[in-house]
Amino acid sequence: MRRAAVLLLIAIALVLLLANVLAPYPYATQFRDAPNAPASRHFLLGADSLGRDRFSRLLFGGRMSLLLAPAAALLSTTLALLFGLAAGLLGRRIERLVAAAADLCLSLPWIFVLLAARSLLPLNASATESVLVTFGLLGTLGWAGPCRIVMASVKRHQRSDFVLAARAAGCREWRIAAVQLLPNLMPLAMAQFLVTTPAFLLAEANLGLLGLGIPEPAPSWGGMLRELENLPAAIAHPWIFAPAVLLVVVTGCCHLLVSADKQTV
Amino acid sequence: MPRADRAPLLSALAWRLAGAASVLLLSGLLAATLVRMAPGFGMDERLLDARRSAGSLRAIESETSGQRQIARYYWHYVQNLLRGDLGNSTSLGRPVKDLLAERLPVSLESGAAGLGLAWMAALAAVAALELYGRRSTEAAASLVAGTLLCTPAALLALFCAYLGAAPGIAIAAILSPRIFRYLRDLARQACRAPHVLAAHGMGLDPLRILAFQVVAPVLPELLGLAGVSVSMAVGATIPVEALCDSPGVGQLLWQAALARDLPVLVNVTLLIAALTIAANLAADTARAAREDQEAFQTAAEACA
Repeated sequence: MRRAAVLLLIAIALVLLLANVLAPYPYATQFRDAPNAPASRHFLLGADSLGRDRFSRLLFGGRMSLLLAPAAALLSTTLALLFGLAAGLLGRRIERLVAAAADLCLSLPWIFVLLAARSLLPLNASATESVLVTFGLLGTLGWAGPCRIVMASVKRHQRSDFVLAARAAGCREWRIAAVQLLPNLMPLAMAQFLVTTPAFLLAEANLGLLGLGIPEPAPSWGGMLRELENLPAAIAHPWIFAPAVLLVVVTGCCHLLVSADKQTV
Repeated sequence: MPRADRAPLLSALAWRLAGAASVLLLSGLLAATLVRMAPGFGMDERLLDARRSAGSLRAIESETSGQRQIARYYWHYVQNLLRGDLGNSTSLGRPVKDLLAERLPVSLESGAAGLGLAWMAALAAVAALELYGRRSTEAAASLVAGTLLCTPAALLALFCAYLGAAPGIAIAAILSPRIFRYLRDLARQACRAPHVLAAHGMGLDPLRILAFQVVAPVLPELLGLAGVSVSMAVGATIPVEALCDSPGVGQLLWQAALARDLPVLVNVTLLIAALTIAANLAADTARAAREDQEAFQTAAEACA
């Protein structure tokens, strides 16, 4: 299952990375004589209400989501590692401070914080700014959960023989962190990265459906899901479900990777 | 329990309460700061009205100037909060207290219904799989739960709205796969324990084994999950109420976020943070008490 999930993810990533070559039209090009066109040879997944090719938007939107969600996950995992190591190594006060900050982040539901923070962007923010801010927010807000796990792991490792031996040999804290702890925390960080990537993809989709995602004309899977608000029309034209299906497949593959890792551990 | 043994427990509880209160106050301050930093904050459309006199414009400016200094605004807000005054919504022009009083029961009802349904569905599925599960049913349950987990919450809410389901059912559809996944992992671990295998070997009733040998040892984890699931329910309420057009606090928050309504945002932030902190605190305390009780029993058995 793990191999199949990896292969499927690689295939999807390759197709999305080749969006410039594979997409028949630029994502913002409007065909004003073909709004809401059904699927055909010209428009593989039909055209949206503004006459834009849905297949091209799916490829470009997917590329954006699949590049930026892992980037945001990398940011949150790195922050979690930094804060977790600092909390474990710099004494009780820092540990309490980091724990309180993590509690603060965890006590507010994600979607609420994202909704509030995303709504504070200027109305005339460019698409690039908006995209970066949305995923930047996801990355900076998502550190708390992984950080708690990293903190617990750092505590466990600090009592281990190899860290005690390093300390007895006169190693400084930063050296213990870099040479002894960090390599041992990497599998955990990898698992957290795999857990947060689909969570960020879904968070972006939720924001998009609520109208607070990446603004037009830039495409994203979340933004494309807004077409599903008219569900009866979508059921009559099932190709509108393509971004939802792709999103479920990609997040499903990520979950399969995580569960395969868990079984191995 | 003797009074001397109760003292550390009470002290730990007092520390937890103090920590929760400070996190609560900080979250309100954070929300107020976020809104204050938003572009366009403090701009009043009435100031653009050329028909107004200079005195009227000064009065409008002084009306909003109190909100410009975030620390001052928040200090006054906390003082008023202690007197029971939550301020007025700038976008809806009504007291926030009235808005919350109207909408909170709607959200509590749908949230409690959703949470209850989700727990019942997840528990029933896990118990059924544990008692009568075959590989095919296990695979089917994993597939359904996995698909629901991989579907955006807002999309599930849309489907439920289309099918005419109540918001509680939408919340249950969002929460049940998450609760199911955690419960399934817990049940799997508990069922592999030597005492459970021994009980099966002795030919005890499977239902009895499930109730007394599987559930009882994982009760602390279940209590922890109960606390987390409240937080998940609060998170699910926002897209569900916004998309199902349910007039609850989630919808109010969504409208306030779009209109940058500072008083509503700060109050709802505090309310949501208070709910999640209280749920987590209750679950943590119950779990700690249960673990202490287990440790006490183990020690007593060892002494005997």
